[in-house]
Amino acid sequence: MSLLDFSSDVFIIAFFLYSGAFMLFTIAIMGRRWSGRKPEEHTARWGKAAFIASSLGLLCHLAYFITRWMGSGHIPVSNMYEFMTFLSMMIMVAFTVIFAIYRTIILGVFAVPVSIIVMAYAAVFPQEVQPLIPSLKSIYLNIHVTLAALGESFFAVGFAAGLMYLLRTVNFDSTARSDRKQQRLVEFTLFSIIVIIGFLGSVFAFRGAGYESVFVRSNVTIDSSGQGDSTIEKVSYKMPPIVAPYQSETEVFQPFLGITKPLFEAPSWMNGVNAGRKFNTVIWSLLSGLILYTMLRLIVRRLLGKAIHPVLDGIDENDLDEITYRAIAIGFPIFTLGALIFAMIWAQIAWGRFWGWDPKEVWALVTWLFYSAYLHLRLARGWQGRRSAWLAVLGFLVVMFTLIGVNLVIAGLHSYAGTD
Amino acid sequence: MTPREPLVSNTKCDCGHQNPVGTVLCEACGKPQDEKELGAEGNLEMRYDGVARRSQRIRQGVIDRIWNFFSSVKIAVYLIVITLLGSMLGTIFPQESTFLNIDASTYYKEMYGTAGNIYYRLGLSHTYESWWFITLLVMIGASLVICSLDRVLPLYKALTRQKVRKHRQFLTRQKVVLVSPLEADPEAWVAALSEPLKKRGYRVKTEGSALLAEKHRFSRWGPYVIHIGLIIFLLAVLARGLPGLNMDQHLAFPQGEAARIPETTYYLKNEQFTVEFYSDEEMPEEFRGKKVLPKLYETQAVLYECTADCTDPAREPVLAEVARHDIRVNSPLSYKGLKAYQFDYDLTPVLRSVQPELVNSLTGEAYGKFKLDMRNPERTFQTGPYTLSLKEKYMDFGLNEEGRPVSKSPYPNAPAFLFLITGPGLPGEGQQYFYFPKQVDKEQFQQQAINERLGGSGRFLELEVQDMSDVDFAASTSYLNIRIDRAMPFVWTGAGIVMLGLVLGFYWQHRRIWLRVEDRELVLGGHTNKNWFGFRREIAAVLNKVDLIVDEKSLDNGGGLA
Repeated sequence: MSLLDFSSDVFIIAFFLYSGAFMLFTIAIMGRRWSGRKPEEHTARWGKAAFIASSLGLLCHLAYFITRWMGSGHIPVSNMYEFMTFLSMMIMVAFTVIFAIYRTIILGVFAVPVSIIVMAYAAVFPQEVQPLIPSLKSIYLNIHVTLAALGESFFAVGFAAGLMYLLRTVNFDSTARSDRKQQRLVEFTLFSIIVIIGFLGSVFAFRGAGYESVFVRSNVTIDSSGQGDSTIEKVSYKMPPIVAPYQSETEVFQPFLGITKPLFEAPSWMNGVNAGRKFNTVIWSLLSGLILYTMLRLIVRRLLGKAIHPVLDGIDENDLDEITYRAIAIGFPIFTLGALIFAMIWAQIAWGRFWGWDPKEVWALVTWLFYSAYLHLRLARGWQGRRSAWLAVLGFLVVMFTLIGVNLVIAGLHSYAGTD
Repeated sequence: MTPREPLVSNTKCDCGHQNPVGTVLCEACGKPQDEKELGAEGNLEMRYDGVARRSQRIRQGVIDRIWNFFSSVKIAVYLIVITLLGSMLGTIFPQESTFLNIDASTYYKEMYGTAGNIYYRLGLSHTYESWWFITLLVMIGASLVICSLDRVLPLYKALTRQKVRKHRQFLTRQKVVLVSPLEADPEAWVAALSEPLKKRGYRVKTEGSALLAEKHRFSRWGPYVIHIGLIIFLLAVLARGLPGLNMDQHLAFPQGEAARIPETTYYLKNEQFTVEFYSDEEMPEEFRGKKVLPKLYETQAVLYECTADCTDPAREPVLAEVARHDIRVNSPLSYKGLKAYQFDYDLTPVLRSVQPELVNSLTGEAYGKFKLDMRNPERTFQTGPYTLSLKEKYMDFGLNEEGRPVSKSPYPNAPAFLFLITGPGLPGEGQQYFYFPKQVDKEQFQQQAINERLGGSGRFLELEVQDMSDVDFAASTSYLNIRIDRAMPFVWTGAGIVMLGLVLGFYWQHRRIWLRVEDRELVLGGHTNKNWFGFRREIAAVLNKVDLIVDEKSLDNGGGLA
C-alpha cells in the first residue's frame, strides 16, 4: 500500500472517530437524566471516553497529514481539499487546547461537529495530489497557511462557544419582543448551519448517483481590429439543473424526477457558465436545507433553539462567555502572525510587494479588523455576554467568507485554490 | 459616559490623598470618590485603576476637543468598523491597480454594466488610494497615538504608586472577592501566605496585616506596544509614498545582453532563462494530457554596476559584476536594497543583430558584410566602395494616424532601418534605402515598394542576409520587476513590535491580589485583566496551601469576566 493510499484511509478513520466522539459527547450530556445515574459521574465517564475518541481521531488525522506530506513531497495545504482537511485538523487542535484548559464536556457537542462539517466540505474538492506551481514553492507556504488556519480554528471554537452561550441564555419561553428577536436570530444561525449540511448532503447524494448534465455556451467576441472570435465554454453540472447558465444550450441532460429540461435560465448579470452552475448549487443547498429543517421541526415540534436549550441546562453561562473570549484571545495573535505578517513577508518575497489589496488580503484584513473591534468592545467598552457572543458568531462568518466566499465569488491571486 | 464634573469640587479623599479632578477611585487607598458610587453595589470600574485621564480633565480648547475625540475607544471602534466596511466595498469588483493597461472609464461599464459604471463613478475602483480611505487610515493612526497616550501615562502612574493597604470597599467590590472569618494571628497568617504566592511568581508586599501580591504587570503594556508597532507600521507605509524611497519598474531582459536599469547605475544581464513544465509522470492521472502546470521559471541573472563612462553615449560603459543569482519566483536577486523579481517571460525569439551584405542586384557582385546591431547600431558602415549612413531606426515599425513611420514600442519586434547610401553609380546626394531585417516584415511592409518609391526604378543595390549564421537571436526574454523599497525595514520593525505586544498582552495576564485581615476577618479582593477563571483557580490553590479551603467558584463576585 502506498503512503498516499494509507493517508486517505487514516483520514476516513479520523472522520469516523470524530463522529463517534461527537456522539459520545452528546451522550455524556444528554444522558445525565437517564434513570439510576448520578449526573456528574455519568458526564465525567462518558466525557472521558469522548475525549479519548476525539484525541485518537486527531492522531489519525495527524497521520493522514504526515503521510500525505511524505507521499506528495510537499506540505499538504496547497489546494482547497488539502487546506480544508488541514483546517478541520486545526479546529480539533484548538478544541483540544481549550478543552484541556476548561474541561467543559459540552464544548465537544458543539466544537467537534464544526470540524466534522469542514472535513466533509473538504471531500467536495478533487483529492489527488497536485505538484506545486512555482509561486507556491516556498517555506512560507508551510508557515503562512498553517498559522493562519490555526488562528482561524480558535475563532471556530470561539464561534461554537458563542453559539452555546446564546442557546443557553436566550429565553425561549418568553414572548417579549426582544426575546423573540433573539430567538429568531438564533434560529436563523441554526438554519444556516443546516443549509451547509444540506449542501454537503446534496453534493454527496448526487455524486453517489453519478449525476451529470452538460451545457455549452458559445461566446462571440469582436476584438479592436474588427475580427470576430468565438470560444465555446462547457460546463458540467453535478446536480440536476434547476437553473441553466445564461444563454446556453443543453448538450446532455440526465432526467431527474421527470424533469427533462432546466426550469429557468440564470439572469444576464451572472457572467460565465460557472456562475450559473454555482447558482444552481446554491438553490439545491437551500432546498435540501429547507427540507432538512422542516423535517427536524416536525420531529421536535418547536424552534430548534428551544429544543437544544435544555441540553445546556446547568452549564455556567459565564464559563461559556469566558471560553468564547479566551479562544478568540488565543487565536488573535496567531491569526495576526499567520494571516497578516507572514502573508506580507511571503508576498514581499514572491511578488515584490508586501501588500497589494488582493481580495484575499483585504478579507484577511477585514477579519483582523473585525476581531480587533470585538476585543476593543469587550475590553474597553465592557461588551460581554450576549453581545460578545453574537460578535463571536458573526466573526466566524467573516472567517468563512475569507476562506471560501472569496474564492467562490471573487477571484484573485489566491484563485489557485479553486472551489466548487 | 461619565457625567460632567462641577467646575470646583472637593477631590480630597478621606485617607488624606489629594486626587485630580475626574478620579474615580482614590489614587492611594482605592476608595470610590463619587458619592453615588460610594453607596452603590456591584463591581468597581477598574480601568486604569480609576485614575483620571487627560481627556476627562480638560475640556476647553480646540486641541483638547480633538484630543478628547480621538481618545475615545468608541470613536476608535467606529473608525475600525468604517475601515472594515470600506475595505469590503473595494473587493466587489477588481481594483484598477490589478490591470496593467485598461481605460477604467470604459472598462467597468463594459465588463460589469450599470453596476460597474456606478462602481467606477463612486471611485470604488480605486478604493484603497481614495482620499477617504487614506483619511480613515490617518485617523486610525491619530486614534492609536492619542488613545495610547491618554491611557498609558495614568496607568503607569497608578501601577508604580500602589499602596498596599486599600479601602475595604475597594476590596469587596472587585470581581474576585473573599470575606471569611479568620482566627489566626493576622501578621503571621499574612506572612505565611506570602510563600505560596511567591512560588507562583507573585511579587508580594506586606504592610502589617495587609498584603499586595502582583505578577506579570508587563502584560498591561501589551496593548500599548501593539499600538506603537502599528504606528511605526503606518508611518512606514506612508513614507513609501515619498520620492526616492521607492522604485518599481517592470523591465524586459532579452537573454544574453546586459540591459541598463533606468534611474540607477546598475545593469542586469539575463544569461539564461528557463521555463519548465511538469511532465505527465509528475502529474496526477486525472490531469494527464489535460492540464499544463508550470514547474520552474528561472532567470540566471548577473548584476553589474557601471564604474565609468556611464552617461557618455559614444562609449561603452565599464561594468563590474556585483551580484549573481538564479532568480525564481520566491527567490529574488537582492543587492544593497535593489531587488529583482521574476515577473513574466516571453519565449518569442528576439532579433539581436544581423550581418547583411550589400549586393548589386544587376551584376550579382557582393561588396561584403557588416554587422547591424538592433539596439545600438553604428552610424555609418563602409562596404566596398559604398558608404551607408543610418538616418532612422524603428524598433517596432508601424505607421501612425498620418501615415508616417513610427516605432510602436522600444522592443525590437519589427525593426526597420533607413539608410542613405552614397557611392559610385548613385546620385550625388545619395540614395535612401529602407531595410527590414526580418523576412516577415519585408513582406508585410513591402520593402520593395517603399524602396522603389524612394530610389526610383534604377535601383540596383540590395541588402541581403546570405546565411542563417549571420543572424543572431536572443532565444527568449525574461521580464523582471525591479524594486527598491527603503521603507521595508521599518514596515517589518513595526510588524515585529505589534507581534511582541500581542504576545505580551494576550498570553500573560496581570494579576493582583489585595487582602487585609482585621477584626478576625479576612477581606480579599483580586483583579486581573483577563482569564478570571484561571485567576480564581490560582487564588483557591494558594489559599489551600495555608489551609483555607475555598471553592474557586465562590470567589466570583459577579461579572468576573473579560
